[in-house]
Amino acid sequence: MPKTTDSIERKLRMSKITIIDAEHRKFFPSLSEIRRYKDLFFTLAWRDFRVRYAQTTIGFLWAFIQPIVTLIILTLVFGRFAKVDTGPIPHALFTTCGLITWTYFAFVMTNSGKSIIESQGMIKKIYFPRLIIPLSKAVVGLIDLSVTVLILIVLMFYYGITPESTVWLAPIFLIIGMIAALGVGIWLSALTIRFRDFQHIIPFIVQLGMFITPVAYPIEKAAEQMPQWAMSIYYLNPMAGVVQGFRWSVFGGEPPGNMMYISFATILVIFVTSLMYFKRVEDEIADFV
Amino acid sequence: MERSTAIKVSGLGKRYTIGKQKDASLRSTLSGVFKSAAAKGDDFWAIKDIDFEIKRGDVVGIIGKNGAGKSTLLKVLSQITKPTTGRIEIHGRVASLLEVGTGFHPELTGRENIYLNGTILGMTRMEVKAKFDDIVEFSGVAKFIDTPVKHYSSGMYVRLAFSVAAHLEPEILIIDEVLAVGDAEFQKKCLGKMSDVAAEGRTVLFVSHNMSAIQSFCSKGLLIENGELVYFGKLEKALSTYAFGDEFKNNLNLAEHTRSKGNSPSFKFSALKVSGNYENASFPSQFPIELTISFIITEPIFEMALGFSITDHEDRTLIECRSFRQLTELNYPKPGEFSIAVTFTPNLNSGNYSLNLGAISKQGELDYIKSAYVIEISHEKTGDSWYNQDLGQLVVDHKWKLT
Repeated sequence: MPKTTDSIERKLRMSKITIIDAEHRKFFPSLSEIRRYKDLFFTLAWRDFRVRYAQTTIGFLWAFIQPIVTLIILTLVFGRFAKVDTGPIPHALFTTCGLITWTYFAFVMTNSGKSIIESQGMIKKIYFPRLIIPLSKAVVGLIDLSVTVLILIVLMFYYGITPESTVWLAPIFLIIGMIAALGVGIWLSALTIRFRDFQHIIPFIVQLGMFITPVAYPIEKAAEQMPQWAMSIYYLNPMAGVVQGFRWSVFGGEPPGNMMYISFATILVIFVTSLMYFKRVEDEIADFV
Repeated sequence: MERSTAIKVSGLGKRYTIGKQKDASLRSTLSGVFKSAAAKGDDFWAIKDIDFEIKRGDVVGIIGKNGAGKSTLLKVLSQITKPTTGRIEIHGRVASLLEVGTGFHPELTGRENIYLNGTILGMTRMEVKAKFDDIVEFSGVAKFIDTPVKHYSSGMYVRLAFSVAAHLEPEILIIDEVLAVGDAEFQKKCLGKMSDVAAEGRTVLFVSHNMSAIQSFCSKGLLIENGELVYFGKLEKALSTYAFGDEFKNNLNLAEHTRSKGNSPSFKFSALKVSGNYENASFPSQFPIELTISFIITEPIFEMALGFSITDHEDRTLIECRSFRQLTELNYPKPGEFSIAVTFTPNLNSGNYSLNLGAISKQGELDYIKSAYVIEISHEKTGDSWYNQDLGQLVVDHKWKLT
């Protein structure tokens, strides 16, 4: 027994002191604390993936069916019926490329947006940095992302199109897309705690967002006919720049204009403010959910 | 050697806004922006002005009625919610167990849930892996470890969940009423595990309504009433203060004393005097105590008996005596004011006991006063060393000899 006491004593001397002070408030979530909980972060992501297709007959096949069906419909509507001109790239390929970043964005935003409410049972009973719940959804979404990337690769082989040398920039656009999705998702997850109204806003953003994002149509043509100010507003959509940039990095063509930076600035603002707002409500989450 | 501090709390308070859910709707917040003086809801302090310091190795039982603020205190201490006022200093790694099986997912297998729950409780995956076999063995569900837990019986589920928690090794453990689950055998196993934890010199904070569980391994008691700290210190004192509540004060004028039952118009106790000057001292166990009881009778009563009883803090009756055979002149009393005396020797072990008074007739209870007085008894044989203790509630004369 004295041995155990000794080891506790030793641990105690090494362990640090936690101070909870009602007066003391921070502006940003602590990165070092999140790093300490990295095992929980990955475990939560792994759990989401494990239970996602539980009790379904075809299981993981769903991860393929959803993007493929979306792709077929978008190609039919925009490519065949509306005859949207996508230049030298076949419309199916053009749309697949757009879908990669858009579906990832939609997935991460939706799931992180509702994540806090969904984990309320846990939040009321145990402490951990709350931010890891919405953050972990970015990892879960990577599975679906790989599926859509796989579909793109298969289609590129089929059409015999090789990626441009700029393709190394694609992951950078993906990361920007991830930050955009998390920024919006974290905002929504924090807002939903107090205002359940935002739960109903999420599907809305996903539904309408695809039309104001150049997923299935090129924006360059429209840009020539629209006034400058209208395009500036269009690019306030954080995903406009990401989708366009990602596609350019794969297929080349005309590089995206300066308008893209409006999107990126929006992303930066959304992400930074989302962390600040989240931190502000974090301490009281357990009282509201 | 002075033990180091484990938890230090000062000026701790937590306020909730109750009434209309003012804060919870978007519309009211938006309109609040435009209206400078938005109507505020009622404030409610779940805990207020709490100060205490827990030393390393203390095993503290937190007691209080439902809604006293115990759970809020635990939530604030385990960082689930932030206090409105005050400061907490925690030395060492804390694990809080406010529920067994937090985060358990029904679709996952027992094995997967051990990892999930373990990391939620603050273990790393490596730590869970190292203890995995012990956890499974302790739970006794080894056969079903690769079955989704939704197919478990509720007993198996709880056993598995507690097993994970039982293998945490924090310096400070915070536990809320989680032992109230599982069958008797498993509860015993859990209590054993908890005692081990306490014996290892870890600091434990434990909330329970199960007084015998608290008694079996807590060394200190922390009593909360209406969000305020009433007492923190020796467990026995905390338990008796909790059990006797406000009536702990000597309440000798009985006229205004609240009656829980037997509110007959024909009979009323009016005063009680306890012999000796024991106001601030305790009664020796095997010395007689004299009670002088006064009462008023307003209508003739057919067949009446007076009585007193002594109950412990768990409301178990240890002694109950009635007057009918000895006090025959009051078996058929006429209206008037009376005063009687009764002498008895308690023969009780050290502790605080509640003295209750009652009057009964053939028709039913006439008057009954619970905790009219709290008798503190100290038994000389109760010492601190293991060989100097008489245990149990009652003290019996006994002689040992070598034959």
